[in-house]
Amino acid sequence: MANQKTVDPNAVKEKLAKLEPRLLALQKELSNTSDKKKQNKLIKQIEYTQGKIKQAKTGERLSRQAKRDLVAYSFIAPNFIGFCVFTLVPIIFAFVLAFAQWDGNNAMKFVALDNFIQAFQNDRFLASLKNTIVYCIATVPLTLICSLGLAIILNQKVKGRNFFRTVSFFPYVASLVAVAAVWNMLFSPQKSGPVNMILYNLGVAAKSLPKWSADKDWVMFTVVLFSVWKNMGYYMVIYLAGLQGINGELYEACSLDGANTWQKFLYITWPQLQPTTFFVTIMLTINCFKVYDIVYMLAGGSNGVLNKSAIVLVYHIYEEAFRNWNLGYASAVAMVLFLMVLAVTLIQFRGEKKYAN
Amino acid sequence: MMKKRLLGLTLACSMTAVALAGCGGSGGGTETTEPATSESTAANAGESTTSAAPVEAADGDTVLKWAVWDVSSTVYYQPLIEAFEAANPGVKIEMVDLGSADYQTVLATELTGSGSDFDIATIKDVPGYTTLVNKGVLEALDDYIAKDSVDLSQYGGITDQVTVDGKLYELPFRSDFWVMFYNKDVFDNAGVDYPTNDMTFEAYDALARSVTNTTPGEEVYGAHYHTWRSAVQLFGILDGKNSIVDGNYEFLKPYYEMILAQQEDGVCQDYATLKTSSLHYSGAFAQGNVAMMNMGSWFIPTLIEKIKTGEYGEEVANWGLVKYPHAEGVEPGSTLATITCLSIPTSAPHKDLAWEFVKFVCGPEGAQVVAETGTIPAITTDAVVAAISGMEGFPDDEASAEALKTANTYLEMPVHEKSSEIETVLNEGHDNIMTEGSTIDEGIEEMNEGVAAVLGQ
Repeated sequence: MANQKTVDPNAVKEKLAKLEPRLLALQKELSNTSDKKKQNKLIKQIEYTQGKIKQAKTGERLSRQAKRDLVAYSFIAPNFIGFCVFTLVPIIFAFVLAFAQWDGNNAMKFVALDNFIQAFQNDRFLASLKNTIVYCIATVPLTLICSLGLAIILNQKVKGRNFFRTVSFFPYVASLVAVAAVWNMLFSPQKSGPVNMILYNLGVAAKSLPKWSADKDWVMFTVVLFSVWKNMGYYMVIYLAGLQGINGELYEACSLDGANTWQKFLYITWPQLQPTTFFVTIMLTINCFKVYDIVYMLAGGSNGVLNKSAIVLVYHIYEEAFRNWNLGYASAVAMVLFLMVLAVTLIQFRGEKKYAN
Repeated sequence: MMKKRLLGLTLACSMTAVALAGCGGSGGGTETTEPATSESTAANAGESTTSAAPVEAADGDTVLKWAVWDVSSTVYYQPLIEAFEAANPGVKIEMVDLGSADYQTVLATELTGSGSDFDIATIKDVPGYTTLVNKGVLEALDDYIAKDSVDLSQYGGITDQVTVDGKLYELPFRSDFWVMFYNKDVFDNAGVDYPTNDMTFEAYDALARSVTNTTPGEEVYGAHYHTWRSAVQLFGILDGKNSIVDGNYEFLKPYYEMILAQQEDGVCQDYATLKTSSLHYSGAFAQGNVAMMNMGSWFIPTLIEKIKTGEYGEEVANWGLVKYPHAEGVEPGSTLATITCLSIPTSAPHKDLAWEFVKFVCGPEGAQVVAETGTIPAITTDAVVAAISGMEGFPDDEASAEALKTANTYLEMPVHEKSSEIETVLNEGHDNIMTEGSTIDEGIEEMNEGVAAVLGQ
């Protein structure tokens, strides 16, 4: 590079006079400390000062290291700038908003914890919190069991294995709007709806047939059922990968010891799948907290308003923010959701260390 | 360390800025990065000025931006624009379609902050209007109205219902009211007389029951109620004694009793089924097995159009209109209204021209243009009624034309600071009662408590 500059010897001397004693002091300190962490820190500082000295001597504007850093930063910049503008800044802003009252136009008013207090007094918030948790508790184990069962069956050499694998994966890729419409048709609240027809013929009285997604006592059940059916294909694929990673010799050894199928599952498959199960549980839980679309499509009706029987946290955030324009309050609810997901994620970090293979 | 990282980051950012601006060449060795950055900002500024210019440049015309929904399926936008542009040379109107489903939300988002440049905003409903007024993004029109001495009495008192704290922020150009649509063939087949313009609720209920047929396979429904709460709840406010926002909903009980009994007896379709299947009211009526359906007058042009294009068959070709049923002792023709209005945002770049447009569209000339498309304008003169009932495809019996004349009109949702929160509570109560998740009394109690909580906030 043609970056060589004419060096003013006086300026260099001045700089060196500052830098060299600092380097010596650091080296001395290094030889006196025994703490590993501190040593590393000092070594870095020494390297940095050495670089500075070299830079002063050669008169380059940027040291070699700085140049390398710059190149590296320029590579991450496009992504990082996008991240800042579209993710980081909004998150920080939402955090600030949670303690303010704001409708988007008028001046922001700081209200301390009022938004949170208001939330825990709001019927719709409490209902959404309850529904979200109920949804999580019901969906996670059910999806887990269904996808594991499917994976075990479809891992065996059955006829048309690939066909069935595709069939079970299909709901996951199919358009939500379309399958929700079909689902609502199958679970039609009328006596003539296919599912209700079966129930009726099984002897359920016409009056007590559930109205499924239109029924305030059955709507969450319908949503959970739908969600399990829609998502189990995806987790089945993850389980299939886990199953295929199990060493076949373990099963052989087990058979020689006279174990039956159940014992093989209990002592080999299940423990070997532990990391997979852990991963699936965490992903499922986080996704459950974020649920919105499924409930909206199944229970929203023609005006897209969710009742207390079906409202979930994300929907509550949306309605407060963009229908009632309580942006501060909505951010506070978002913070509550964030804390819940954060808790799950922290457990995941703990567990990852334990189960990492 | 942190400082160094930060410095590196800013440098990296400015580097990419330089690269993006297309002047990445390092130039002479002695050059620092400073001039390069300023050069790049200068280049950016130059670009932005050139790109901003053409908006108003075309032939020296001023372009007004008008926020609307459903451009392709709404018949009156284009005639209105043509009429206005003919009368005001040098002004062009540009429509921006914000979509129909969540129009008010999108509009509110657009007007939030200071980035939008809409000159005229169409206001779809009263809760949306209230939201925008609360946000302070609409211009009060009183000064303009006084300046041009616009006569508000021609709107039949509806402007008083949308005045907030003594100020009016919108002018209506379109006013729809609820009427009873009926299918003449269904009544002919059942050998029952057509509904009339003077029906009490008892007479209406009896009539609906008399044409109902519950035989599987050949069902005929005497009545049809769309899943909106307004299709049932608002029967209750037509006597003028009750309000939908005052927090006491006991007066709804007789109407819920009537409709739940109809639902029970197969006179109307089951609410839960309608809700989960999201059946549109037009589809329900078009099947030809619905005798009567209460719906807004906005359905008239749609019905005429779809029968003309053949999308709806013979089953509904023979339809008619009558006035809404009324409670005992109330003047027939009392009905619910929804108004579609124009407003000027506070951020509008050309407020005076925008007012000219608002004045034109909401005034008598605009009303005539709107009426000629089969839509009911906010100003209903005899000429307007004649224009609509004289349209090709409009039922030719006298009762249908008569049905267009209203006595008292009540807004579906009056202006109220908490109208969107109240709306949510009432929707939920309606839903619970209609799906029979709650009894009528429980549902009314829920509404009373819920609205009290909203009002108490």
